[in-house]
Amino acid sequence: MPAEGSLPASPRPGEPLLVLAGVTKRFPGVLALDHVDLDVRAGELHVLFGENGAGKSTLINVIAGTFPPSGGSFRFGGEEIVDLTPNKARAIGISPVFQEFSLVPSLTVEENLFLGRETSSAGILDSGAMRRRARELIGELGFDLDPKARVDRLSRAHQQMAEIAKALLGNVRLLILDEPTASLTERETGRLFELIARLKSQGIGIIYVSHRMREIRALADRVTVLRDGRHIKTLDAATVTDAELVELMTGRRIDVLFPTITHRPGAVAVAVENLSTADNQVAGVDLVARAGEITGIAGLVGCGKSELVRAIYGIEPIAGGSVSIRGEAVAAPDPRSSLRRGVAYFPADRGAEGLALTRPIRENVSMTALDLARFQRRGVIRRGAERRIVGPIMETLKLRPPNIERAVRNLSGGNRQKVMLGRAMARDLDIFLFDEPSVGIDVGAKVEVYEFIKRLVEGGAAVIVVSSELPEVLALSNRLYVMHHGRIAALLEGEAMTEQNVLASFFQEETREKAA
Amino acid sequence: MSDAPLAAAPKTAAEAPRQAERRGLAVEWLRQLALPAVLLVLLAGFGAADDRVLTGYNLLNIAQQASYLALFAMAQMVVILTRGFDLSLGPTVSMVSVAAALTMAGVGGTGGSLVPAVILGIIAGLALACACGVFNGVVVALLGVSPLVATLGSMNVAIGIATTISGGRPVQGVPAPFSEIFYSGSVFGISSAIVIACAVGLVLHLVLNRTVFGRSLYIIGTNPGAAAVAGVPVRRLLVAAYILCSALAGLGALMMTARTGSGEPNLGGTLSLQSIAAAVVGGTSLAGGRGGVVTAVLGALFITILSNGMNLTGVDGYVQMIVLGAIVILGVVIDRLSLEAR
Amino acid sequence: MSATASLSRRPATPQGRDHLGRLLRIGLLPVLLLVVVAGTSLLSPYFLGWMNIVNILRMAAFLAIIACGQAMVIVAGGFDLSVGAVVALASVVTAKVMAALATSLGGPDILVVVLGVLAGLGSGFAVGLFNGLCVSRLKVSGFVVTLGTMSATAGIGLLLTNGIPVYGMPKSFIQNVGRLQFLGLPIAIYIALAIILAMAFVQRRTLFGRYVYAIGGNQEAAVVSGVPIRRHLVGTYVLSGVFAASVGILLTALVGSGQATLGGDAMMLQSIAAAVIGGVSLRGGIGRVEVVAVAALFLTILSNALNLLRIDSRLQPIFLGLIMVLAVALDEYSRRRMSSV
Repeated sequence: MPAEGSLPASPRPGEPLLVLAGVTKRFPGVLALDHVDLDVRAGELHVLFGENGAGKSTLINVIAGTFPPSGGSFRFGGEEIVDLTPNKARAIGISPVFQEFSLVPSLTVEENLFLGRETSSAGILDSGAMRRRARELIGELGFDLDPKARVDRLSRAHQQMAEIAKALLGNVRLLILDEPTASLTERETGRLFELIARLKSQGIGIIYVSHRMREIRALADRVTVLRDGRHIKTLDAATVTDAELVELMTGRRIDVLFPTITHRPGAVAVAVENLSTADNQVAGVDLVARAGEITGIAGLVGCGKSELVRAIYGIEPIAGGSVSIRGEAVAAPDPRSSLRRGVAYFPADRGAEGLALTRPIRENVSMTALDLARFQRRGVIRRGAERRIVGPIMETLKLRPPNIERAVRNLSGGNRQKVMLGRAMARDLDIFLFDEPSVGIDVGAKVEVYEFIKRLVEGGAAVIVVSSELPEVLALSNRLYVMHHGRIAALLEGEAMTEQNVLASFFQEETREKAA
Repeated sequence: MSDAPLAAAPKTAAEAPRQAERRGLAVEWLRQLALPAVLLVLLAGFGAADDRVLTGYNLLNIAQQASYLALFAMAQMVVILTRGFDLSLGPTVSMVSVAAALTMAGVGGTGGSLVPAVILGIIAGLALACACGVFNGVVVALLGVSPLVATLGSMNVAIGIATTISGGRPVQGVPAPFSEIFYSGSVFGISSAIVIACAVGLVLHLVLNRTVFGRSLYIIGTNPGAAAVAGVPVRRLLVAAYILCSALAGLGALMMTARTGSGEPNLGGTLSLQSIAAAVVGGTSLAGGRGGVVTAVLGALFITILSNGMNLTGVDGYVQMIVLGAIVILGVVIDRLSLEAR
Repeated sequence: MSATASLSRRPATPQGRDHLGRLLRIGLLPVLLLVVVAGTSLLSPYFLGWMNIVNILRMAAFLAIIACGQAMVIVAGGFDLSVGAVVALASVVTAKVMAALATSLGGPDILVVVLGVLAGLGSGFAVGLFNGLCVSRLKVSGFVVTLGTMSATAGIGLLLTNGIPVYGMPKSFIQNVGRLQFLGLPIAIYIALAIILAMAFVQRRTLFGRYVYAIGGNQEAAVVSGVPIRRHLVGTYVLSGVFAASVGILLTALVGSGQATLGGDAMMLQSIAAAVIGGVSLRGGIGRVEVVAVAALFLTILSNALNLLRIDSRLQPIFLGLIMVLAVALDEYSRRRMSSV
């Protein structure tokens, strides 16, 4: 096993292994961590609990050395740690398993396990020794994993196992697991839990990030709840109740930033029947969105909620089922025809899919509407008209400073989102698909985005909002679909739309899976 | 995917304060002024070294020479804007030259009138060029092959066609009216090569800056993912860009054929390299989405003046090859540094 | 989805389709090879003659050596357009140095030859080092850097000789390196075999080979795992330069003079074609030198067969170009099918 008694400095179980005091992490414009305290003992499993955006990811990235903290003290194994890098963290025994894998797809599992720390002499690999060690480790972990299989041929679950095995190879004192069961099956999850128990008994401290109540019940020694980048409370897992945790996680929101929206559901605008995508991220989904209301889609990371709207818009290949817009069946949607039908999509990743950063705001706003006669005549752009249309649009969106010739690259996250919203006004559209509309923007800009969505809906448009932020979809939606593993787990309306019910429908789905 | 602050980190980190924006603009400005300044210094330097350089005759000569390279640099720039490349540009020139000359010699040689011969020759040459563009565009945009390999492949094909149909020998019998149009003719005393290059440059400039097609090319080059999501027909426009590139190369080939008075199977020679060098040195970014007619023309002028000056001051032709290579590398290094400065 | 469903999804489809993709590319190669060999031997009596076979093997050996270096560069995610020009430069440098030493030293041939060979290899090393440093330090695309060094290197070669062949090398060099045979085969073939075996070993069993795969496969993952990126990138370009130089030296010994026209664009194109046909992915991270060597053999036999069948040699680039594009298009096709599973 990783520990192998080779850790003279390792404290005995119960002693504090990691002590963070007043750790702060500031990104330009965002205070991601605000004086967070955390201590993890050797042999303890410590759960980090909180909503998306609560600061869990930032915190584990600070601990793993990916981000340097902006302030606070960091002690590990009794020593003050400064200038931590990922390599240094690994060397002192901090081993993270992130959701984004650090594997080379064209190499085998075994080659990936040892990448960067191969057993070799004079530059020649000792493949035999590494193979034995890999088999030994995989055997001990109880993974159903072929060390000679190429990583790109593995399912996501098996890649996850390879990633965990990679983290456990070597001298591990603190293991960080970020939603490790997100892509594991029931049986594999069971194996992982056994493994965690063994690691604990060897005095390894574990930080475990999860939303899942059931896992917390099964594994946790203590739970630290984070909210809005702040440390809310650290609790003993044995005595705390589920309700208490959920309440701490959501909290009483002081900042009521969601507008009151009057929904007037009208005709069916989008109807999806038994839809499946080619990558199987969406498997047999039925959904209806009406004009004059916001239809929300909630779900955990990788549940297929984003793929669903992308398929409706036409950037995710469809394998089966049907999409109809205003009652008209659409065989194979593509972005251009969707826009002509009045359907717009606002991607979550505005860097990769939204904006042409070196181009001016004006061009970015008119980008989706260049086929219209108001912007061009026989292929020649009417630049005067373009300026006359885009200028007032950005004016109403309160772009500051109101210069539409600036390159988008120079704008803040909030202003970039405004440029995206400007597109919604550059042509006549009445169906809007928002994918994580408030990701990466500050509170003030969030309010403006919500107000914008409110105006759209109250003007009679159909809006679908996909979000990992539960409070956001709960507050905005008239009806809320909950997705889980590519399927609709529940449809909540009216009084039933509560955080507890959404979480409950994840768990229900899980228990159903367990039964199956 | 992850918690919001994490996802936001790279984006917010890229949010430069206004100061950085101003500095970026200054760098950009310096970069744009640098090349014209270097051009003037170069001319002055060569002029001091040899008094034949700064004569009116030689300056017109430089403009005439530069007009060919400018045309090829513009062609290359169109595909580089989309993050592409055309290595087959040089061989396309050879192929078009040979094909046009063969057609004209064939039609005109059989006693037919010269006018249809010239027209058919031009059509044959441009059609073949467009065919090459279609091949490149389809292989890149529809089959998903990297532009490098696609055009490396078509480069071989074009070389093969050019040498095969010509038998490896120059094709004689280019009729006089053809040379009149594309070379010896003049408008208000300015030779037709310069006139054609200027006209093409003007039209291309308008196309790139004033049309939906041109705008879309910049968007595709800047962010292909965003272009696709915004409903820009990326594949179709990529094919069009490669066709435009090859057609411009074909036009340049006709001009060069008119100059030599024969179809030359080796006419293209180092033109692929030279056109890339000119485009890159002028400031067309290999990362896509940055550059234009002005950058291509400035780059072409730079290289032409350099080689003209080196010729007149007696620098060895082989040394010029080394200089050309060094310029290409220097160009991309500067491009890289200016990308990082942002 | 249920546990069983997600489990059964794993092994079934992707591997089946992947087999098809592999079959299309790598499995096709031996088949094509056999078809060309069988067809040509039926049509031309000279094809299976001993002289012709030796000739084919020798040319294939030259190409395979260069293609091995090219393959290492491409596996690491790069590109080396300068190999053809390096062949010429190494030829000229070797011949010049030997000729100069032979007249000034007059001394033992062996010393002259060794110094000449070292100078030739050194020129390849220098070009490779320059390419590698530009790519790894300045983060410029390997393609453009080597496009530049290709022109510059060819220029230096021509400048050194003014385009005139360089004579005056020791006779023993030409006799012992160029014309010497062992068991009826020229030693160039043994050298190529040694290099292929060595590189196959390097790819499978050394840190360098492993890291080259990792860098080409996922550079970020390699960085996170603590792989020293720059050093290994430089290594691939140096290797490519040295291999190209060794071919330049062998060719010089064969033709008996240093020539700035050896190698050139044709050699560079063929080395890329061999690598691509041999299953090296232009996206990096995938490719085996021994398959590339087979592809080099295939290309040489194809060109020889076309000659024997009196097909205009001017048509040959067309075949080469189309085969190359086809190979990459197939690669892309099978990749897309895999990713759409």
